[in-house]
Amino acid sequence: MPTIDTERTTRTIPADPSKRDSDESGPSKPDVQRPDRSDLLKRMKRVDPDQARRYRQRSGQ
Amino acid sequence: MRLFGIETEYGIAVHGKGASDLVTESRAVVNAYEGIFAKPWLYRNEDPRNDMRGFHVDRLNYDPEDSAFDDPEAPPLAIEVERADHVLTNGGRLYNDHGHPEYSTPECETIYDIVAHDKAGERIVQACAERRSAETGRSVKIFKNNTDFHGSSYGCHESYLTTRSRPFGELVRGLLPFFVTRILFVGAGKLGIEPKGDRGHYQLSQRADFFTEEASVDTLHRRPIVNTRDEAHTDPRKWRRLHVISGDANMSEYATALKVGTAALVTKLLETQWSPSIQLKNPVAAIKSISRDQSWKWITETSDGKSISAVDVQRSYLDGACEKFSGTGPDIDWTLREWGKTLDLLQDDPLALGDRLDWVAKFELLRDFAEAEGLSWDDEQLQSIDLAYSDTDPEHGLYYALEESGAMVRIVGDQAITSALTVAPSDTRAALRGELVRRFSESIGGLSWGSVVLRTPKESWMADLGELVEADQIESALERIKNAQTMDDLLLQFASSS
Repeated sequence: MPTIDTERTTRTIPADPSKRDSDESGPSKPDVQRPDRSDLLKRMKRVDPDQARRYRQRSGQ
Repeated sequence: MRLFGIETEYGIAVHGKGASDLVTESRAVVNAYEGIFAKPWLYRNEDPRNDMRGFHVDRLNYDPEDSAFDDPEAPPLAIEVERADHVLTNGGRLYNDHGHPEYSTPECETIYDIVAHDKAGERIVQACAERRSAETGRSVKIFKNNTDFHGSSYGCHESYLTTRSRPFGELVRGLLPFFVTRILFVGAGKLGIEPKGDRGHYQLSQRADFFTEEASVDTLHRRPIVNTRDEAHTDPRKWRRLHVISGDANMSEYATALKVGTAALVTKLLETQWSPSIQLKNPVAAIKSISRDQSWKWITETSDGKSISAVDVQRSYLDGACEKFSGTGPDIDWTLREWGKTLDLLQDDPLALGDRLDWVAKFELLRDFAEAEGLSWDDEQLQSIDLAYSDTDPEHGLYYALEESGAMVRIVGDQAITSALTVAPSDTRAALRGELVRRFSESIGGLSWGSVVLRTPKESWMADLGELVEADQIESALERIKNAQTMDDLLLQFASSS
């Protein structure tokens, strides 16, 4: 697999596209620090390890 | 920008059910919708076999392996029953498409609206699945992705309104290099090569493996990079609807915004008679090789035998769009700015885009999980992680775990998404469709993108929305619908003005 530096860098937030006046929340900036990955790992460990093997779909468009 | 929309076919997994059950199960999920809606859909107004190149095909290609899931003894259902169309008060459409719950956003003309409505579609389908699950006691899971990892793909299509000012062959040549290389930021990431390739090979795009043609009218089999379907859903003498099937379904709001913003700009650019200076030697091979490139340099070959990076192909479109459109509108300027930043980071530091591009975010999850569990990249468990990224259940989906942790850039707030569940964009014809559904769903005799049939006990009228493609055409018609006390009152108003 590619071996590129794995640390996130600090970036500026994208300015928002033209948002509706009625929406107060708007775009939000992610935490510039790397988020705690331990909770993510816990959720990943709860994923059914066989779900992709069982997953069959009809061919769509 | 002109009208655009997104239609997403969702993956569905029902505990104890197989692929041959999914048409029934998908229909049941759609029928679990609880809000106000109208039906039926007027299929007579559609013809997916019309080709932009000036001909009509007698049939579309079907996947022969998929046909094996059909029961030859099953009696055919009326299309209204099979599709279970629901037209919602937000102007969108929820239905069953061949075993996939599908949600078509209403027509939008701002990036903010399209992202809000795309996300609203996720929530609507997920809520339906939860209701169906509660009714039956069977788990129903919904996935916003484009592959089952076993060779079946399903689409996330975009539509862009464009003029007929240019011969379609020139549009195809103008679009191919763009569509092939935009997987750099549209790709949702996929572990494995289909139909039977290396399971441990991580690639940018979910869909790239499935394209075998440069251009054709087909969508189900022998899929093309440029779809030539000619269904304008408005006046076909003036307009084309560019029906784009080469994109991935995105969980990331930013990826959706950039996907639609850039394609809308390129469509607009091509209307000006601009043409790319670059043609690819073999677009079908290029979309696969770029998607699968493990060096992340994404070098491809031009028609005159030179090497070029996919990033530079995208830059050629960006330069053309900047020259023509810079400073002409907030969505356009946002798109130009973010497109440029994204290309710079793809070249210099792709992993810096893990907070906004799906393929990068998913790569980091897979890498972290593989490291933590001591798994090799071809371990089957990792494909389950890939699938879980697109799980639309916020309690279980991995994209939503990232979003909850603050790791993903947001474009719209939750308030906007909640509003989009029931309210149409105010400046497109979807506002008229949605308001008619909200006020008079019991009196609607049928709908399509361009029309609504209105019925009273005495008569039947058709509200023709077909040519209402400009924002300034919407406001007065919307006021009439809002001010009408009854359906008779509404019909009288329309009759007096016609």
